[in-house]
Amino acid sequence: MSKQARRGLLGISLVLPSFLILVLIVVLPILGSLKESLTNHSGGYDLSNYKYLFTDKLMRSNIIFTLEVTIASTLLVLVISYVLAVYMRFNQGMAVNWIRRMYMIPIFIPSVIATYGLIQLLGNRGWAARILYHFGSESFPRIIFDMKGIIIANLWFNIPFTTMLLGSALSAVPNSVIESAKDVGAGKLRIFFKLILPLTFKTLLVASTFVFMGVIGSFTAPFLIGPNAPQMLGVSMEQIFGVFQDRQLAAATAFFTFLMCSFVGYFYIRSMIKEEGMRSS
Amino acid sequence: MSNKKTAFTLLTSLVLVGSLLAGCGDKNSNDSAAAGNGATAEPAAKTTEFSFYYTGSQNVDDLWKTLIPMFEAKNPDVKVKPVYVASGTGAQPTYDRILAAKQANKGSGDIDLYEDGIDSVNKGKNDDIWDTLSESSIPNLKNVDENTLKDVSNLAIPYRASAVLLAYNSDKVKDAPKTLDELYDWIRKNPEKFAYNDPSTGGAGSSFVTTALYKFLPEEAIHNSDPSIMSQWGQGIDLLKDLGKYVYGKGIYPKKNQGTLDLLASGEVDMIPAWSDMVLDQISKGQLPATTKMQQITPGFNGGPTYLMVPKLSEKKDAVYKFLDFVVSPEAQTEIVNKMHGFPGIKLSNMPQEIQDSFKGASEGYRTFNLGDLGKEINKKWQSEVAAQ
Repeated sequence: MSKQARRGLLGISLVLPSFLILVLIVVLPILGSLKESLTNHSGGYDLSNYKYLFTDKLMRSNIIFTLEVTIASTLLVLVISYVLAVYMRFNQGMAVNWIRRMYMIPIFIPSVIATYGLIQLLGNRGWAARILYHFGSESFPRIIFDMKGIIIANLWFNIPFTTMLLGSALSAVPNSVIESAKDVGAGKLRIFFKLILPLTFKTLLVASTFVFMGVIGSFTAPFLIGPNAPQMLGVSMEQIFGVFQDRQLAAATAFFTFLMCSFVGYFYIRSMIKEEGMRSS
Repeated sequence: MSNKKTAFTLLTSLVLVGSLLAGCGDKNSNDSAAAGNGATAEPAAKTTEFSFYYTGSQNVDDLWKTLIPMFEAKNPDVKVKPVYVASGTGAQPTYDRILAAKQANKGSGDIDLYEDGIDSVNKGKNDDIWDTLSESSIPNLKNVDENTLKDVSNLAIPYRASAVLLAYNSDKVKDAPKTLDELYDWIRKNPEKFAYNDPSTGGAGSSFVTTALYKFLPEEAIHNSDPSIMSQWGQGIDLLKDLGKYVYGKGIYPKKNQGTLDLLASGEVDMIPAWSDMVLDQISKGQLPATTKMQQITPGFNGGPTYLMVPKLSEKKDAVYKFLDFVVSPEAQTEIVNKMHGFPGIKLSNMPQEIQDSFKGASEGYRTFNLGDLGKEINKKWQSEVAAQ
C-alpha cells in the first residue's frame, strides 16, 4: 500500500466514528421524521400534512408568529449584546467591572425558574405594575401572556452568551489597529464602521445563527408566558404530539422547523468553510 | 424543596435498582408460587408478593404508603411491593412495558397492578391487556356503582375520584352561582374576573369546556364516545367563544390547573374552576387565602375517577384480588377520602354516616363523563375555534 493510500485510510478511520454517530443520532432520525411526516392518515404517502401546515388558519398564524418572535428577538439580542460588548471593550471603570461580573448570571438560572420570575415581575399585578402604580400609573401593558413576554424572556436567555461571543471577537481586534487609525485622523464612527464592525462581522453572523436556532425551538418560556393562540411552533408541536396525538402532523411541523434552522445553519457553515479556505491558502 | 426532590429522585432510582435486583431473585419464588397455586394443597403457606405500579403527585404516594400496611396487617400471606413512578415521567413507559411484555410473551412484565386514568383503561381495552374483574373474585365490588363499572366494561375499578368545583374568593363574591346558567351570567356581568385554564393542559379547564359543550345535549350524551356526536357541539363552541370576551384578559387561558389557581391567589380573578383536592390542599398550606370557598353547580362539572387495573397475564391475580377487595371496602375508602380530599370510589350509601354527611351538597352535582377519544377532539376544536378566535 502506498504511503498516500495509507494516510488516506487513517484519515477516514479518524473521521468515521464521529460520522457514524452523526448518522445514527442526527441523520437517521431526521429521515425517520421526514418519512413520518409524509404519511397520511390512511397509511399512504403524500404531502397532506404539509398542506395542512400551510393552509390551516391556526397553523399558518403559528408559523408567522414564530417567525416574528424569532426575528424580533434575534435583532434585539444582537443589538443589545453588541452595544454591551463594545462598551465593555473600550471603556474602563466601575460600571464596566460590574457589568462584566454580572452579565453571565442569567446563564446559571434554570429557565423554568427565570420564566416564573418574569411572571412575578411583569405580570398584571407583578412587582413592576405595583411599583408603577405608586408613581401614579394606572394601567400596565399586558406583557405576560403576550408576544412581548416571550421576547423579553428570550432577551434574558440569549444576551449573556451572545455578549460573551461578541466580547471575545472584539478583544481580538488589536489596539494597534485602532490607534493607528486614530493617528491618521479617523473619527470614532469611522473606526467603528470601517474597522470594528467588519472585523467582528463573522462572529456577529455566528451569534445570530445561535440565537435564531435557540429561539425558534424554545419551549419553556413560550409555553408558560405565551398567548393561547397563536402559539410558537415548539408549543404547538408539543400540543399536536402530546395532546392531539397526531404524530404525522407533529413530524411535519418538526421537519419544517428543521428546514428553517438548516437554512440559517447554511450561512454558518458557509462562513466556516470560507475561513478554512482562507487558512489553508 | 430541591433537596427533597434530589432525595426523592435518589429514592426512586434506588427503588428501581431494587426492583431490578428483586426481579432477578424473584424468578424462583414466582415459579414456586405458580407451582403452589397449581397444587393448591397448602393454602397460604407462602406469602405472595406482587408489584403495584402507580403514578401521581406526592399525595397519591402517601395514600398508598398508608393503605398498604393496613392491608398487610390483615393479610399476612400477601405482600404488596409499591412502585411509585413520579408524575409526568413514568406513566406512559409503565403502560408500554405491560404491552411490550405481552407482545413478547413474557407475561405482564412483573407488573401485577396498575393505577391510571381513563385513557389507559381505554387503550388497554383496545390492546386487550386488562383482566375482567367480577364480584365472584372481589366481593366488595358490589359497593361500586354499576354504571361506572359498565363504562369501563369491568376492566378497571374506579377506586377514588376528584371533582372539579368552582373555587372563588368569598371576600369579593357574596352570592356564588349555583347553576351553569347563573355561572355564565356571572362571567358576563363580571368581565375579566373569571379564568379557566387551557383544556389541553389540565382537567379543570377541560371540565369547564366539556360541560359547556354538553350543556345543550341530552343527558346520556356524556357516556357516548361515538364521533358522530361532534356535529352537535356547535352551540357549546359558540357559547365558549362568546364567554371568551368576558374571561380574564379577554381571552387568556393560563396553562395547567395551577395557572388559574395562581391567578386566584394573586387576586387577579375572583372565580375559577379547579380540582377540589388541589384547592383544599393549597388552602391548608396557605398558598390560597383562607377566604377561598368552593361551590359545586348543577348540572355539575365532571369528575374523573382514577382506576386500578390488573394486567391479564399477571401470575398473582389471587393476591391482587384480595388487595382490590380491601381497597373498595368502606374502611379503606374512608382513609382515601380523608387523605386525598377526594370522592370515594364506592357508592356514598356504602360509606360511614359521617363521610356521607360531609359530602352533602358536593356530590349531587358531580358527573362522570366517559367520552373516550373525543376528549382529544374537544381540545383540537377548542384550540382552533375558541383560542384562535
